[in-house]
Amino acid sequence: MGAIGKSIKRVDALGKVTGNALFPGDINKPNQTYAKILFSNVPHARIIKIDASEAEAMPGVVAVLTAADVPVNEYGLNNMDQPVLCGPGAVKPYTDRVRFIGDQIAVIVAESEAIATRARDLIKIDYEMLPVVTDPLDAMKPDAILLHPDKGSNTFGHYLIRKGDVSNAFKQADVIIEAEYRTPAQEHVFLQPEAGIAYIDEEGRVTVEASGQWVHEDQHQIAHALNLPLEQVRVIYPAIGGAFGGREDISIQIALALAAMRLHERGIERPVKIIWSREESIIGHHKRHPYIIRSKWGATREGKVIAAENELIADGGAYYYTSTKVLGNATLMCTGPYEIPNVHVDSYAVYTNNIPNGAFRGFGGPQGAFAAEMQMDKLAEALRMDPVEIRMKNILHTGSLLSVGTPIPGQVNLEEVLRQCALKAGWHETPSGWQLKASMKNQGDDGSKRRGIGIGVAFKNIGFSFGYQENCTAEIELHGDAEIDQVILKHAGAEVGQGAHTVFIQMAAEALDVPIDKISLIASDTAVTGNSGSVSASRMTFMAGNAIRGAAALALEKWQNEERPTVATYTYLAPKTTPYDPHTGRSEPNVAYGYVAEAAEVLVDVETGELKITKVICADDVGKAISPNLVKGQIEGAVVQALGYTTIENFIQKDGYTLTKNLSTYVIPTVLDVPDEVESIILEFPEERGPWGARGMAEMPVLPLAPAICAAVKQATGVWFDEFPLTPERILTGIGEFEN
Amino acid sequence: MKPIQFDYYAPTSVDEGLDKLTELGYDGKVLAGGQSLIAAMNFRMARPAALVDLNRIPELAYIKPTDDGGLAIGTMTRVRRVEQDAEVAKRFPLLREVAQFIGHAQVRTRGTFGGAIAHADPAGQLPAISMAMNANLLVCSKTGERWVNATDFIFGPFMTVLEPQEMLAEVVLPPNPPRTGSVYKQVSRQKGGYAQAAVIAIMTLDEAGACQNVRLVMMSVGETPIVSEKAVEILVGQKPSEQAFKAVAEAVVTGEIDPATDLHATADYRRQLVRVLVVRALTEACERASKGG
Ligand SMILES: Cc1cc2nc3c(=O)[nH]c(=O)nc-3n(C[C@H](O)[C@H](O)[C@H](O)COP(=O)(O)OP(=O)(O)OC[C@H]3O[C@@H](n4cnc5c(N)ncnc54)[C@H](O)[C@@H]3O)c2cc1C
Repeated sequence: MGAIGKSIKRVDALGKVTGNALFPGDINKPNQTYAKILFSNVPHARIIKIDASEAEAMPGVVAVLTAADVPVNEYGLNNMDQPVLCGPGAVKPYTDRVRFIGDQIAVIVAESEAIATRARDLIKIDYEMLPVVTDPLDAMKPDAILLHPDKGSNTFGHYLIRKGDVSNAFKQADVIIEAEYRTPAQEHVFLQPEAGIAYIDEEGRVTVEASGQWVHEDQHQIAHALNLPLEQVRVIYPAIGGAFGGREDISIQIALALAAMRLHERGIERPVKIIWSREESIIGHHKRHPYIIRSKWGATREGKVIAAENELIADGGAYYYTSTKVLGNATLMCTGPYEIPNVHVDSYAVYTNNIPNGAFRGFGGPQGAFAAEMQMDKLAEALRMDPVEIRMKNILHTGSLLSVGTPIPGQVNLEEVLRQCALKAGWHETPSGWQLKASMKNQGDDGSKRRGIGIGVAFKNIGFSFGYQENCTAEIELHGDAEIDQVILKHAGAEVGQGAHTVFIQMAAEALDVPIDKISLIASDTAVTGNSGSVSASRMTFMAGNAIRGAAALALEKWQNEERPTVATYTYLAPKTTPYDPHTGRSEPNVAYGYVAEAAEVLVDVETGELKITKVICADDVGKAISPNLVKGQIEGAVVQALGYTTIENFIQKDGYTLTKNLSTYVIPTVLDVPDEVESIILEFPEERGPWGARGMAEMPVLPLAPAICAAVKQATGVWFDEFPLTPERILTGIGEFEN
Repeated sequence: MKPIQFDYYAPTSVDEGLDKLTELGYDGKVLAGGQSLIAAMNFRMARPAALVDLNRIPELAYIKPTDDGGLAIGTMTRVRRVEQDAEVAKRFPLLREVAQFIGHAQVRTRGTFGGAIAHADPAGQLPAISMAMNANLLVCSKTGERWVNATDFIFGPFMTVLEPQEMLAEVVLPPNPPRTGSVYKQVSRQKGGYAQAAVIAIMTLDEAGACQNVRLVMMSVGETPIVSEKAVEILVGQKPSEQAFKAVAEAVVTGEIDPATDLHATADYRRQLVRVLVVRALTEACERASKGG
């Protein structure tokens, strides 16, 4: 007992700080070859012909693989709409098209990376250029060029919510706020660009060691494309240098596996290794979806929001990826953590020739939360009401009906979360309601510098759900005679830097009541570990904890029955959920939620447009902090990532070409750009479905920061910014100091 | 990427280094801190056939006070050392102020004072500072040495008067007269990132409080750092005033700078920054000067 709720040393810390941990790029095998992938480098075209003869003839080139070499030329996490290699020769129609600059055309395997690179540049491609569409609004028009002609439309996702009667409610509203919000793309910039090595293992399996977020899903997609039985494919994760959703989809894995398999078939038993450069990484994997959100909300004089109408358009980029899942979250979160009686939402995901968009920490939540929180702030302004006060009047409580017509599951303590954040940030409760203390209203008089403060609140689901049966498997072995001497925990959950493996071990120790140092973990290998589901959607502590608890109970029972060694496997199945009803949107979408409130203080230089975030306060209901330090690390990391999203990062694509292909042009916050103060308030209101009460928490602090910062900037400058990033130039233009 | 193949020499004395440079001619290139050169080589924007590494020549790294109250800084002196040196802080507080904006501590620990000037990056702080401070640069070759004023040293982006067989050996900073105030102002997207625009102002007041001399230098808004002539024209001999500073800013923005648009900022925004930063820098320089510098 007592293994959870304290901050033990991370189990991966020593390896990572000493350099002993092997990341994919560090793994070398005897006699390995090196691969390069040829990208299309054009945003939309039909490939007439690929001439790889010169490349193939080059000394040192081992193989050049193209579309014709791919057994089943398609893949995709939610929908297999992406060719593994684009080009003529595949059975599937339209596989000969490239739809964004990072589409993969050929895998070149050679004796060295330099040779592979030179050979890649010798491949000649005959293109028939196609019109490029990059604005989702254009792509939705009936006469737009279709990216996937077989689908009949560029709009590939649509959800709706119809609750109550918004048009009638608008008639009763005392104030109505209408606005159009635009949120930007964001690049993950995980520390470790994509890399991996593939080979045929001792049991003849096509084996890929690379980074990812879900070994079994990678295995599934590789097996599908290679037309192999699942058990003929093995995926192993070594140390992973960050993920943030950016490794949920396939990047290099299928290309590597294909190369290893084809070499093997040709009698060449050599591993294939690849390391992407930062530029390849930025072009080669998806981004956070840019959203256009049109909102019309109405409230009564008393501050009760009675109607919310939202239209959301997500730029999906060239392929499906997780767009519809992200859209599902945004659809739910675009009305905020509020109980609103009349809701009308329409949301769309649209193909364009931009880099595909997909999973990124928050997964649709930040986009939805931005619109919702901005709407609340503007309603408060119109009603001359304090922003905390108006939120308190509408906030979700236990049993509240969600926009989808069903009650929110579990205990909801969001009011308390907001209260604690607001109090710490400088609000107080007065007889006439919540007020910002007078001392905080001072806009500052330091010449051109203006101060402001803003606050936001959000909820975010744990797990993908919306009908998906959440599951997670753990296996526990107990060794020893009279006493348990050694425990082996087998779990597929990926350690992407968040500390999952440390938390798994803490939870196993707690469940088995053995000391932490008796537990060893075997992780993330499809040949050894059961399916855990993805490390994403803030789900892994929740799901893994339940799985480990189940496996531990079984194991202890067997131990009591003197089964030695004891082996127990348990698959946790979370309570059922339901998808959006296509006509009303009604659903029981999720198993559980996490809750967060954030306040931001800013300093704006109204002459240069510079924006500094001086302080962030984050109150986060995590249910139970299995490791408080890791929770704090997640909060602080999320704050910095959200700060980058809101202020510094600016991903620029033009006509389908990416202009910010490296870190000198795609600028992210460094340690020197973090706020002077980030205060984490960790709240523990137990979630009854979670292990020891734990909820998920890793994404939540990303959600309300952008709107909180925009509210602070409004207080400082008097101007609402409905679009970010808040670059100095945008701020200056917005406040009319300067015309561009 | 990796650089193309190159030869590498590590002389241990200035003479040996100069011999090598003469021998190599256009094939040779000096390696100082490598913070710009190695990156350029990795991107294959620089393709020297041979490097002459000055890091093993201890006689090139020093900070020596000069008799007139200035400083002589050996070219291989690390920027970090300049930043932390007490004598530098006393004589030229501006240098410490500026150094903090140059990349990050790691970059400054390797990067050299002279190397940065020889690199002549239009977005680099030290080339601009050397011009603002009226530095004299000692250029050596096997056949002799010559002194070049910093303003004449740089004539284009990454272009200096250095010949391939020459090396920059020393940077001499003349003393500031009494009642001199100096200031550096910049705006960048990221701490430690290159400036979108920056302004250096060094102002000397006479005993009556009029402007006796002013050096106003803009960087990142043209192909080289730009020394303002308008500032001298408008301010020298006059009592400093907000109005005059604004007039300088306007004259600089309309007549002296030529900013470019890139992914980080438009030319118009850079003009706006210069407009604001010139006034701020002059105002603060004047304040500091009136307090004695
Ligand atoms: C991440 C990063 C961020 C940076 N940020 C900034 C910044 O914000 N501001 C800024 O100003 N700089 C910045 N720099 C550049 C840094 O200041 C470099 O140190 C400087 O530009 C060059 O100095 P060096 O000693 O490293 O010279 P090197 O890179 O070794 O050489 C640069 C050039 O000068 C020549 N050279 C050097 N010394 C001599 C000599 N004695 N005689 C003749 N030729 C010589 C070389 O041949 C070469 O062409 C940054 C660098 C990095 C890596």
